[in-house]
Amino acid sequence: MIGLGSLIKRNTKLFFKDKGLFFTSLITPLILLVLYATFLGNVYHDSFAMSFPEGMEVPEKLLDAAVGGQLVSSLLAVCCVTVAFCSNMLMVQDKVNGTRKDLTITPVKGTTMALGYYIATLISTLLICLLAAGAGFLYLGKVGWYLSGKDVMLILFDVFLLVMFGVALSSIINFFMSTQGQISAVGSIVSSMYGFICGAYMPISQFSEGLQKALSFLPGTYATSLLRNHAMQGVFAEMKADGYPKEIINGLRDVIDCNVYFFDQKVELSTMYLILSGSVVVLIGIYVVMNMMKRK
Amino acid sequence: MENIIEIKHLSKSFGEVKAVQDISFQVKEGELFAFLGVNGAGKSTTISIICGQLKKDFGTVIIDGQSLDGNIDKIKNEIGVVFQDSVLDKALSVRDNLQSRAALYDITGEAFRKRLCELMKLLEFEDLLKRPVGKLSGGQRRRIDIARALLNEPKILILDEPTTGLDPQTRKTLWDVISTLRKEKNMTVFLTTHYMEEAADADYVVILDSGKISAQGTPLELKNTYTGDFITIYGVSEEQVQVLGRPYEAIRDAYRVSVPNTSDATELIIKHADMFNDYEITKGKMDDVFLTVTGKKLNGGEKE
Repeated sequence: MIGLGSLIKRNTKLFFKDKGLFFTSLITPLILLVLYATFLGNVYHDSFAMSFPEGMEVPEKLLDAAVGGQLVSSLLAVCCVTVAFCSNMLMVQDKVNGTRKDLTITPVKGTTMALGYYIATLISTLLICLLAAGAGFLYLGKVGWYLSGKDVMLILFDVFLLVMFGVALSSIINFFMSTQGQISAVGSIVSSMYGFICGAYMPISQFSEGLQKALSFLPGTYATSLLRNHAMQGVFAEMKADGYPKEIINGLRDVIDCNVYFFDQKVELSTMYLILSGSVVVLIGIYVVMNMMKRK
Repeated sequence: MENIIEIKHLSKSFGEVKAVQDISFQVKEGELFAFLGVNGAGKSTTISIICGQLKKDFGTVIIDGQSLDGNIDKIKNEIGVVFQDSVLDKALSVRDNLQSRAALYDITGEAFRKRLCELMKLLEFEDLLKRPVGKLSGGQRRRIDIARALLNEPKILILDEPTTGLDPQTRKTLWDVISTLRKEKNMTVFLTTHYMEEAADADYVVILDSGKISAQGTPLELKNTYTGDFITIYGVSEEQVQVLGRPYEAIRDAYRVSVPNTSDATELIIKHADMFNDYEITKGKMDDVFLTVTGKKLNGGEKE
């Protein structure tokens, strides 16, 4: 693919040279982290404490680690997608300032150009989300660390997959945008909506049955669940080792969406990976085909 | 000279808007070809089709013997475009911009360094190489735009209103470079402009109006067909000029008499030889041609 490396280099350079774009993308996860730690954390803490039968003692450190795991998984689930939308503005900027014309008069194929935008946005989004994951791990280290090395690797893999999904989704939506105003509006809508529909702000298990069924069709639901499973795996293992009843642990897993059901059928982790990676492949395929058919 | 661009019965519509309607013309290799028309006349649509950015509805486009259909990638290698507004990345340095664009033509490594040296020599921008494009003056940025268009050593250089908004000195520099390229490389230049003096220097002119060709020919043919000549007579009184029986206007130190053509001017001079001691005959200007053909004036991009 002639020019792909050069396009990726150019797009990535432009992202980091645009300080406004870079800091806007970086500030989104930071605001979410502060919001979770100062406000939602207390709500989750109380909710967890009430989930245990009266009289059952739960060590404060374990409770904090459980809340922390839920917070970090929610944060990562939201920012992998919202940061992708914030970072993926160059393809619209190129249309607005006419640079797109200068690229399309070259012999480079539309698919190469599409992949250039996709991979560059993937790199910048991944970098920011890995920084967010690092901040999340530091937070977990402070409130209570129960993660194994495998859990950490799986969380990072989940982040990678979800970023691929977020960038592919934003690429398809941004493909139709032609002004800065449109793309900012889309970014704002996605930032406010996505946290709800993927179960990051509030577990899907708390929603009505109809809504739960509708959300079970969205790949984001399974991405959040994957992150939550891996972020809280250590806490549940510790509870099991401490002799907490299996029913209580399973009940907790249900309440916080570690267990997700598709029409009453429990979805296994391997199936969640299949759904998420399948969605990534389909979305990238759609995006590439759209770019191939672009010439008006 | 062979035709390097052949366009036959080209049409393109956007919904109800017929942007280009059944136009046909040829551009010969090495010539300076001017494409004139007010905004919305169809110039940019035609250029976008030639560059492979828009699909045509009907007609054939042949560039350097190859049909646009099925050969678009080959054809793109033969074309360079200087857009009306600079479209380089303002945040990146001149070198980064040129390097990233050159790679899209598969010009990398040593080949890029060699080409960059040639262009720096031609356009004198060595001292600008590390500066961000957004920090350059209008004239400096134009030189870099031209360097970018020449990266792939195109056979056809398309200049889309390249001098709009430039100061006269920069405009002159730009034309000097283009003139050198035409002489040394036999490069074909396809120009759209709002400056009639630039069109007057072209080898061939096509005037487009509302998506159709209104007139085409060499500047001389167009002037002969669509405008008359002018005789400027010095050192005579108004009464003497009135005797000629032709329309005239007084200018600062002379009278300018309109005649339909050069032979009519010759007849007048022979008949009234006594008053033609100090005079000059000039052809009509391209502005007059454009006004006659389209009923519109071109004035720095504005329709009047």
